[in-house]
Amino acid sequence: MINFSLNGLNAQVEKGTTILEAAKFYGFPIPTLCFMEGLSPYGACRLCVVEIGEEPRTKLVSSCTYPVEEGMKVRTASTRVIRARKMVLELLLASCPQSKVIQDLASAHHIMQQRFKQEHEDCILCGLCVRMCKEQMMAKAIGFSGRGEKRKLGTPFNIKSEVCRLCGGCIYVCPACQLRCTYTDPEKAICGGCANLSPPCVEKEKFDDMMCYMEPCVACEIKKE
Amino acid sequence: MKKFSSLNEFINFRHRILNEKDVQYEKPILVVSAGTCGQASGANDVIRMIKREILERGLQEQVGLRITGCHGYCEVEPFILIEPGQHLYPKLKIKDVPRIIESAMSGKIDKELIYKEARGQKSYYSQNDIPFFKKQIRAVLGSNQKLDPIRIIDYIEQGGYSALEKVITNHDPQWIINEIKESGIRGRGGAGFPTGKKWELARIVSNGSTQKYIVCNADEGDPGAYMDRSLLEGNPHSIIEGMLIAGIAIGASQGIVYVRGEYPLAIKHILIAIRQAQDLGILGKNILQSSIDFDIQIVRGAGAFVCGEETALIRSIEGNTGEPRQRPPYPIEKGIWGKPTCINNVETLANIPVIINKGGKEYAKIGVPGNTGTKIFSLVGKIKNTGLVEVPLGIKIGEVVYDIGGGPVGKAKIKAVQTGGPSGGCIPASMFDLSIDYDSLTKAGSIMGSGGMIVMDENTCMVDVAKYFMKFLTEESCGKCFTCRKGTQRMHELLDNITKGKAKIEDLDLLEELAHVVKDTTMCGLGQSAPNPVLSTLRYFHHEYERHIIDKRCDAFVCKELVGAPCQSTCPLGTEAWRYTAYIAQGKYEEAYTVIREANPFPSVCSRVCDHPCEERCKAGTSGGDPIAIRALKRFVTDRIDPLTYIPDRTTWQGGKQPHVAIVGSGPAGFTAAHYLSLRGCKVTIFEAENKYGGMLNCAIPSYRLPREVLQREIDSLIDKNITVKCNTALGKDFSIDGLFNDNYSAVLLALGAHKSRPLNLENENVEGIFPSIEFLKSFNLNSDMQAKGRVGVIGGGNSAIDSARTALRQKDVRSVTILYRRTKDEMPAFAEEIEAAEQEGIKIQTLVSPTKVLVSNGRLSGMELIRNELGETDSSGRRKPVPVEGTEYTIELDTLIVAIGEDSGIDCLSPAKSSGVETTNHGTVKIDPTTLQTNRTGVFAAGDLVTGPNTVIEAIAAGKKAALMIERFLKNEPMKQPLLPRLPKVYVEPIEMDEEETKNSSRIQTPRAPATWRKRNFAEVEVSLSPDEAVYEAQRCLRCDLEFTKPKEKEVDLVGEEKK
Repeated sequence: MINFSLNGLNAQVEKGTTILEAAKFYGFPIPTLCFMEGLSPYGACRLCVVEIGEEPRTKLVSSCTYPVEEGMKVRTASTRVIRARKMVLELLLASCPQSKVIQDLASAHHIMQQRFKQEHEDCILCGLCVRMCKEQMMAKAIGFSGRGEKRKLGTPFNIKSEVCRLCGGCIYVCPACQLRCTYTDPEKAICGGCANLSPPCVEKEKFDDMMCYMEPCVACEIKKE
Repeated sequence: MKKFSSLNEFINFRHRILNEKDVQYEKPILVVSAGTCGQASGANDVIRMIKREILERGLQEQVGLRITGCHGYCEVEPFILIEPGQHLYPKLKIKDVPRIIESAMSGKIDKELIYKEARGQKSYYSQNDIPFFKKQIRAVLGSNQKLDPIRIIDYIEQGGYSALEKVITNHDPQWIINEIKESGIRGRGGAGFPTGKKWELARIVSNGSTQKYIVCNADEGDPGAYMDRSLLEGNPHSIIEGMLIAGIAIGASQGIVYVRGEYPLAIKHILIAIRQAQDLGILGKNILQSSIDFDIQIVRGAGAFVCGEETALIRSIEGNTGEPRQRPPYPIEKGIWGKPTCINNVETLANIPVIINKGGKEYAKIGVPGNTGTKIFSLVGKIKNTGLVEVPLGIKIGEVVYDIGGGPVGKAKIKAVQTGGPSGGCIPASMFDLSIDYDSLTKAGSIMGSGGMIVMDENTCMVDVAKYFMKFLTEESCGKCFTCRKGTQRMHELLDNITKGKAKIEDLDLLEELAHVVKDTTMCGLGQSAPNPVLSTLRYFHHEYERHIIDKRCDAFVCKELVGAPCQSTCPLGTEAWRYTAYIAQGKYEEAYTVIREANPFPSVCSRVCDHPCEERCKAGTSGGDPIAIRALKRFVTDRIDPLTYIPDRTTWQGGKQPHVAIVGSGPAGFTAAHYLSLRGCKVTIFEAENKYGGMLNCAIPSYRLPREVLQREIDSLIDKNITVKCNTALGKDFSIDGLFNDNYSAVLLALGAHKSRPLNLENENVEGIFPSIEFLKSFNLNSDMQAKGRVGVIGGGNSAIDSARTALRQKDVRSVTILYRRTKDEMPAFAEEIEAAEQEGIKIQTLVSPTKVLVSNGRLSGMELIRNELGETDSSGRRKPVPVEGTEYTIELDTLIVAIGEDSGIDCLSPAKSSGVETTNHGTVKIDPTTLQTNRTGVFAAGDLVTGPNTVIEAIAAGKKAALMIERFLKNEPMKQPLLPRLPKVYVEPIEMDEEETKNSSRIQTPRAPATWRKRNFAEVEVSLSPDEAVYEAQRCLRCDLEFTKPKEKEVDLVGEEKK
């Protein structure tokens, strides 16, 4: 068992527990975006950052990936952390405003303004779909390619995947897709075909066949015609 | 060579080589540096030439050739260095090579080609004396000169592998690690982690595996840094030796050199070196029968800056995409394939043999506590001596920049130094006293980094620098962390907006906030240090950002969308020089005059006396050719058109009684303000203390530069019904500011100028025969008194001094005129053309002299005692202070002495006792709000030399024009501070059609002057106007920088006149 200080509280967890898991256990809320129970933590969204260390040499680390260490001092809602979270949410809103998940997170943190030039991107490169495909569905059909600005999601060399089983898991976990996917008819719609006719990682134009399994919604087919 | 089968065999071999070297017949060696930089400069041709000469003439016994890697003095490549004399022959042309060979064989120095400085004045026969090398301690880089990188024998001859011998003889790792710890060396890759500690941790880690790796990080990604490349190219065996020792110390059996793919020569040399070492049995299994296994393999990088980060590097070696991961666990515990991995920088490893040979304690003597040893920096940018320099840590930045680097390359002063590449920050010139060490640099907001040092001068825009690095980082970020990827993109976006004039002041706060969050939240070093360029430039150059955002100006003339056409942008009045030049080229002289006159009410005056900042910024000049002779073109137009033909637009004053404005001073500032206020419908009275109006234009500028009729005609054209001029009326004597307001004046503009000459502060300086320059000029220009007689001396180097000198020369009883200046001729602030004209007329200039005593006889001046100066230490402004040399006093005989060492504003009339209520500064000027030109007293404004101290005519005119605008807003109760727009070209003037031949001419027309022998005896105008052919020729040379901004979109016409379909 490892002893450490969590928001001033003396806490104890098993070896190998991440700070996020420990905080959840003790009831301290930490927002996440690229974390999902059942998938390995990735640490891409930086929303779950917490402050660790002793003054003046504290630093912010992503709590989903950082293992708890003996004697560590953790603060999940210090000024520095809050400022960071707000800016990250502002950046997210500036890129991907149509995502319900991001909108909910922003309003929960009282973000009132977005000061950057507005973009409407389909993907925030959180990697949930990649991990879903690799770890839960054991297919490894999609992944990241490119670097920096040019980093994107897709199949190797953008060719139609032979291992993709059309399970739709990637679309299911995508936070950017969520609002589109629940547009007009929340119960039925999963694929965002009707609201936004080009879902992010499964570009219809690139493949010969239709990827989505959903019927009777064939909005993508209709668009092609 | 065969493999050594035992340690003893190796030891004997090594000692034999060392002994043979001393016994060898010493013939002179021609050393040619052929690293990548040398080859790019043409070293290969030099080498071919040398080889050909030696072979054809059979000189093998008489002279030798050694081809080496980079020595560090890249500025002078290609060069030949002759050993043993250390004679350096820089920047060679192929045809000079045979001469150098002759000189080497004969032992005589070729005086023409030997290394020189100070414009060929000072020769340096030995490389060790050259200032570039003097302050360096080349413990590591110095070896490059002495060996051929692809000959292992050369390395052994220089004492190579002696450290390895020591280590293999006693390979108990503890003493090795202790030596490294004692040396105090810190990682040279940038983070500065103590290497000894790292090795110790790597040694003791045991995560159940016996396989450990030692990695040499040669992925030198920083733009502008190439130290590691030079080490790998020039001395690859030192790296191998370092890695061997490291491997033995930590217990690793495999070494990997991760070298970036963009270094083909380095890769080639290290591969050759590894093979040679393997062949000798120094690498491989059971090295020299010691039962130590160690081998090295190369992994090539594929062009990602992020792979310099250690965890990304490990991923790359494993064959994955270079993406950093969280630490802990650190590579020492879990590295390549999960095994303990110790990663060291190339330079760190190159230092290891030095430490083992010298001993840790000895090594630690260099440097400062906590920062021992030397560091190699790549000194690049706006500096005379670019190259690699190896200096002890703790040396001051100023020493590296000025003493080693040689100072700025042109006239622009050095403004800042950027260290640490894209992860580092900028250090302003005011902090050049800072010691270069890990801790000081971090405290100042930068980092040591891998050692890049980019020197920046006044023509570098700091906002543009931040933007450049941010663009680099958006491309090189791995992209995993949202804040790094998006954060760098957004920071670049904000900076881009700032450089294009599209930003608001709130964006600066947003930029800073974003920078801090990116720094806090990112996982790896790239993201954490990415905001450093932004944060450090914001910290030290905040005013540049504000200038871009609020004033919409880029003072370095770099940000295109804020500069427009440089000639227009730099003119204080915003005169569209490009436009009237274009009209002249088309023969439209009247349109040209209108353009000039619209901006400037004194076109004839300025066309004669302006110091033409437009010509200094002309792109034709800054891009390597000759700037357009804009002032001469202006003169051409103003000589042809009568000022009275231009009728300016007038408005009558709306809303209330016509206001009456008082202007004190009838110089360019005052008269310009009066003119514009009159155009807007105000009544203006100008009060002038002298008996004639015109200010310095009349009092000081001599008539051979500005004929009196021309000045009179121009000023009189401005006097209209609204303007009254009262001469012989002085502020403080005949009226006061309170009095003006009591007399129903609604606003007052103070434009008194700077008329009080500064005194010499020497005893007897008030005797007969000594005149302050302004009084001397005034007495002649206003009252026709010729005060100069016999032998005239003029102290000073500014325009006032030259004017006084040339005026004195023309006076009746004068025999000779000598100017005495305390610095060098290059540093004289007077206009270069004036200095040239003065020397043409026979005026002598003595430089580096200062007056010490006034010699008096019979109550009047008889001569001066002077002392010679030499240039001393560089001060914080980058100039070298003149320091008197003891014992060099000498005397000259003089009949007249004119003191022209600067002017102060005569603000006695504004003292509190005279109830003006106007605040003044310590320098004798009036304090104003720089945006509104208003003093602390409401309704009282000030402009011109009274505010700035002695300045140029065009600045005074611009100040007057601005003052008129501010006073108008004040009188109308409008807000005086209003948002500004960038001054961009707006009017489209069609380019003229020229054929291929005509576009090739590029040399500037010579401004015609009256012959010197004739003109120095009279006050007739010296400069003559251009002829129409000359004017059109010169105007056609203009590059039309404006077309980029004004060209209409539908019709794409390129500059040679062919319409694109």
